[in-house]
Amino acid sequence: MLRVEHLTKVYPNGTVALRDVNFQVEDGEFLAVIGLSGSGKSTLLRCINRLIEPTSGKIIWNDMDVTAAPASELRNIRRQIGMIFQQFNLVKRSTVLTNVLSGRLGYVNPYQSLFNYFSSMDQQRALENLKQLGLEDKAHVRADSLSGGQQQRVGIARALMQEPKLVLADEPVASLDPVLAHSILKYLEQMNKERKITVLCSLHFLDLVHRYATRAIALKEGQLVFQGLPKEIDDAQFKTIYGQEAERVTIV
Amino acid sequence: MKSSETLPTHARNALFVAFLSLMIPGVGQLYLKQRGRGSSILLAVLAQACLIPWALNNLKIAQVTMGRVTTSWLWFVLLLFWIWNVDDAHNIAQGKPSPSFIGIFLTALVIYVIAWQVTDVRLDRLITRFGNALKILNDVIHPDLFTRNASGRWVPSENFGYIFGIIQSQPAPDILVRMKLVPAGTLIPIYQAGKIVETIALGLMATIFSTLLAIPLSFFAARNITARIPGGTVIYYAMRAILNVVRAIDTLIWGLIVVLWVGLGSFAAVIALTIHSVASLGKLFSEEVEHIDPGPIEAVTATGANLFQTIRYAVIPQIVPSFLGYTLLRWDINMRAATIVGMVAGGGIGFFVIETLRKSAYDQYAAALWAIAIVVIIVDYVSARWRERIAVGTMQVSVAKPRPFYTSLRAWFYIVIGTVAFIYCWNLSGIDLKALFEPAPTFLQLVRSFVSFNLDPEVTNAVVMQMTVTIFQALLATTLGALIAIPFSFLAARNLMGRNRLSVGIYYLTRSLFNILRSIEAILYVAIFFYWVSFGPFAGMLALAITTFGLIGKLFSEAIENIDSGPLEAITATGATRFQAIVYGILPQIVPPFVSYAIYQWDINVRMATIVGFAGGGGIGSLLYNNYFPFGEYRSAGTAVALIVIVVAIMDFASARLRQALI
Repeated sequence: MLRVEHLTKVYPNGTVALRDVNFQVEDGEFLAVIGLSGSGKSTLLRCINRLIEPTSGKIIWNDMDVTAAPASELRNIRRQIGMIFQQFNLVKRSTVLTNVLSGRLGYVNPYQSLFNYFSSMDQQRALENLKQLGLEDKAHVRADSLSGGQQQRVGIARALMQEPKLVLADEPVASLDPVLAHSILKYLEQMNKERKITVLCSLHFLDLVHRYATRAIALKEGQLVFQGLPKEIDDAQFKTIYGQEAERVTIV
Repeated sequence: MKSSETLPTHARNALFVAFLSLMIPGVGQLYLKQRGRGSSILLAVLAQACLIPWALNNLKIAQVTMGRVTTSWLWFVLLLFWIWNVDDAHNIAQGKPSPSFIGIFLTALVIYVIAWQVTDVRLDRLITRFGNALKILNDVIHPDLFTRNASGRWVPSENFGYIFGIIQSQPAPDILVRMKLVPAGTLIPIYQAGKIVETIALGLMATIFSTLLAIPLSFFAARNITARIPGGTVIYYAMRAILNVVRAIDTLIWGLIVVLWVGLGSFAAVIALTIHSVASLGKLFSEEVEHIDPGPIEAVTATGANLFQTIRYAVIPQIVPSFLGYTLLRWDINMRAATIVGMVAGGGIGFFVIETLRKSAYDQYAAALWAIAIVVIIVDYVSARWRERIAVGTMQVSVAKPRPFYTSLRAWFYIVIGTVAFIYCWNLSGIDLKALFEPAPTFLQLVRSFVSFNLDPEVTNAVVMQMTVTIFQALLATTLGALIAIPFSFLAARNLMGRNRLSVGIYYLTRSLFNILRSIEAILYVAIFFYWVSFGPFAGMLALAITTFGLIGKLFSEAIENIDSGPLEAITATGATRFQAIVYGILPQIVPPFVSYAIYQWDINVRMATIVGFAGGGGIGSLLYNNYFPFGEYRSAGTAVALIVIVVAIMDFASARLRQALI
């Protein structure tokens, strides 16, 4: 279970990205985070694994205080939380396999990993994960030779290598063709249902939220303005989240 | 590093491929369509097979005697390389990964062993003669710029006046008297330009002249223009060839030649700078002309405009910004070259440096180095800022109709300042166009004999030997400079050093170190190492390494600044340690650009190494400067220069191809 309490983030330039955000995520949920660009979605996700240091507030994950964890414990927590990025964040010049294996870095002996040494078990697991994502024939090619959708699947495989209990997905489909969006989200859904991994996923399109999320929260200018079931987002809610000018759009 | 899964994998095929590589190295790889790998292996074997016996016979490098047989132990390394190549072909054919670092390591071993001895590296001297280093370092830290006067106050020294200029009371010049501004014979304070100011004038004049000459020439070296005139293809290739040959010969070598034409002095320096600069600019300009978009030309022609109107409205607007940018870049480069061209051509601070070295006045020499660093850094900065501005362009949003320039006071101010500066620089650099048409008889002799190369074995052996020294000198200097620059470049990367006040301080300190060291040409450092380790290729190598350190450190730190922070974030998010994050997130991103810059630097260093011999740094330059030019052996000089042109052209081509393969 993940509990976020009174989370506030103020950037050094004075921008208030998050303002007293409170919510809770039960194990096994697929929670969508919605809101306009700049509403604080990315900051929120990055505060949970402390890629961004919160200014104040608490994040409690499975009874561990993430916000107070010292460096070594933080790494321990991080390796149980997978992350998927809008820009995939792969090392473009490295092979797909090396990228996937880098998901094990939190587990392996740091000195061995310096020489790109991973146990045969890890190698096996990496290939299995790639196979599940339909990329088994791409293991030895350079990451930048893949298409965007394939790169994002490598990103998912990397997160799966961590054997995570929670996955943070920061706009995982915003850089992809709408058609590919469903393919990626189906993998996340499968992960959520089969491996019982909790998913926190920020999304732009409401119909994707309706289709995949079990619950949703909405941010507006850093404040939590909605939490509930996706179907509860009616027209009035929609206007509070996205502003009076907004129109609903649907994709494929 | 590369491995291929898509290739045929049956064992019979693999054995056949291995056999191919056993017979002729690299052919098996070529058969498997690994073109780059195959040809690199073949080239590496050929190069080693030439180098090893050459090194053994000429310099007894790596000689071992077993019983009655005298041979080189490097053959054994080559044998290992051969075996690796067979195994590599076999592995690739089977679709197994095959690391290339073994092959790279073995080749590097052979090359560095030879380079080490050819360059006459004597590490012991660095230590045994460390006292000399300390003495000269002391002079560098205490340059002869300021001195205490009788009352104990710090005042500029006499040397300061030589470098930066002095204000003297002199009889008023004729023009003021004639204009009845002052009575005849009045003493008025007049600024007497110092050597560094003269150097600035040399750089400016050369830039102006070379730009004016390069513009018309560049049109004849542009394919899209020559295609429209009869016999254009011939003109195109001839122009290209001439530009490349002229460009490959360093400004200082041109200096040696020009001195015979117009005599020692500032004017010779301006000509030498201009010749080299015209060729470089001509190449850049012509490439720019080739990139002209034909669309606007078509459109303007379609309106019924004539040729001149078309050029004015469709061509010039397209090329002016880039031409200006290249001219500013060239100004920066000419400024640097102007600081050394005087060493052979006379004039400017280069000539002054030679004088101080003759007197062994190292504190005066150090003062000149500091002056050069200051001026070059300023010019570098101004040129970069102006280029940035041109690249961005000025987007003025204004509803008011722009006024014609002649109604603007500011425009007139610039015109007047510009004209005065131009006339001042013209006088300062002693331009004497008449001298161009009255060449000394020795020059005519040079022109006659320069291209009738002396191919006596004695000369060709010496030239090839010294050229090899030059290439290896450049290789060692690049390696040494780059290796030292790596740790420093991290300290000079803004994205890594922006955390607190201390790290920002270190950032600026390292940046300044790079800027100061790279602002001074390698040949000027030779004197320091001449004093420390004595003359020869080792001193030249160390001098090159210092400049390399500054140049490559800047490039490396910029490569680090350009990395994508996404992977670093992703790997940190997996719970990796900071160290793991660097190894997996940063290293794969910086190794290729680092290698690419190092190859580029080697290319540059070979050019610079051709002249370090002028100051006692060994290599082909010492042959030209000490053996051929002073004794009028212009045919031998021609041979040496021809080899320089060939080697520089090959290096230029090869380094461009290698770097392309790395991206």
